[in-house]
Amino acid sequence: MAAGLDQLKHIVVLMMENRSFDHMLGSLAAVNPAIDGITAGLSNPDTTGALVQPQALAAFQGQLDPDPDHHFPAVDLQIFGGDTSAGRVPNMQGFVKSYFNQQQDVGHSQKIMYYFAQNQLPVLTTLALEFAVFNGWFASIPGPTICNRAFAHYGTSFGQVGMSVFYVMEPYKSIYERMVGAGHTAKIYYYDTTSSTMEVVNLLQNEPQLFATYPQFLSDCASGSLPDYSFVEPNYSDHDTDDGEEVASDQHPDHNIQAGEAFIASIYNAVKNSPLWPNTALLVVYDEHGGIYDHVAPPNCSPNALDGFTASANDTGMGQPFAFDRLGVRVPAILISPWVPKGTVVSGRVFEHASIPATVTKFFLGSYAQRTAREAAADTFVDLISLDVLRQDCPDFDV
Amino acid sequence: MTVIHVPRLDPQSAMDRDRPVNALLKSQILHLHEAERRLPVRHHTDIYINAIKTEGEAVEYIRAVTEAIHGAHAEAAARRAKRRPAIEIAAVADEGPVRKPKSGGKGKKKGKS
Repeated sequence: MAAGLDQLKHIVVLMMENRSFDHMLGSLAAVNPAIDGITAGLSNPDTTGALVQPQALAAFQGQLDPDPDHHFPAVDLQIFGGDTSAGRVPNMQGFVKSYFNQQQDVGHSQKIMYYFAQNQLPVLTTLALEFAVFNGWFASIPGPTICNRAFAHYGTSFGQVGMSVFYVMEPYKSIYERMVGAGHTAKIYYYDTTSSTMEVVNLLQNEPQLFATYPQFLSDCASGSLPDYSFVEPNYSDHDTDDGEEVASDQHPDHNIQAGEAFIASIYNAVKNSPLWPNTALLVVYDEHGGIYDHVAPPNCSPNALDGFTASANDTGMGQPFAFDRLGVRVPAILISPWVPKGTVVSGRVFEHASIPATVTKFFLGSYAQRTAREAAADTFVDLISLDVLRQDCPDFDV
Repeated sequence: MTVIHVPRLDPQSAMDRDRPVNALLKSQILHLHEAERRLPVRHHTDIYINAIKTEGEAVEYIRAVTEAIHGAHAEAAARRAKRRPAIEIAAVADEGPVRKPKSGGKGKKKGKS
């Protein structure tokens, strides 16, 4: 075992909102060709038949308004380009068509192909180049937020492909309950009471044992008292507090991207300046692509690794049921630790949000039977903590 | 060590309380509404969620229900704390009197192993 892995005692996951890999990190292919980003020859047809190429014209705010559709039928169009035949294969050709459906404006629909230049995102691109960036981390479901976040907490969405309220079904428990039940510590840190959490059912059942806020996260980092496992949620809304105005930091369209950059930097700095830095791995990941272009076709799940649920034809809105047998669109994911080799690009492996409870379970609990076959088969990521000597060259951010 | 500059954001330029509620916040409101229904009536808000149209209106409801959940859990914890002395007395009684080990006990166990 690498010395770094031997030192690992804490895992922190920060899950942001609704941006695709190509949109955020696609520019890095020009810096490191091993990163599977934007290259020449990529395009999507618009509704006139003209080919629209990705361009580094993404704006921090005001461009993706209305919020691009990322519910199940829209994502199906984005991935399959409108092909509904039995033998169809993903071609990633329907993003512009899908966005056109919302405003019937050809020029506006082309903006779904825009991506950020490297220098627009100094935090995310620096972390990607300094630590381990995943070429193949996919949303768990070709659908919206709540069901995708459920996979990060439970290893399943209990049959949901949308935003509906769901209740946990036996025998599956959240990763937090598994950890606490085995004598470990775990917490979900949401930003503040006004932003609250997307884990509402969990909040209702387990507040305050499993919950705390962002200021407490900063304090726990500073005092070296982080739980074994932490999940951090960004600020989901613009709102006022006693301390002034808080800008949404989740990066969900049309929230400001730079506010999210500052938030990611603050989480990184808190961990890096903590006495627990040598003992902590931080994963920054996005819940789903938010309807924004990515060029990598999502893979199918192994028939032996399904979660056992089926969404009805009515729930998918497609006239066909969905057996959770293929993944959603690719999202940015970066693993950060002073024991990760600089410039690591994780290729040839498939990760999804079930990889989060799978990794935490494997690392802290070892074998654990009461989970879905999907989660049990998901790839895990602590093997990327592979150095024997602690890095001293990790960057700082001036936030 | 490299220090990366992070551009400062002017909150005034980024904030928009009148922005229409996005699908994520709508969903959060529905989930919190479901949670609110499960709280004791004294913790219910009087906010009509179908009238929520803007992000500014959404956050008022989200904060109110989250605080209500906190309040309900705090009340339940206080109730449990009040009951605890009796439970602790009962727990001590269940343990029975403390007995000194018999002098020959250790040797007997060793002999069996």
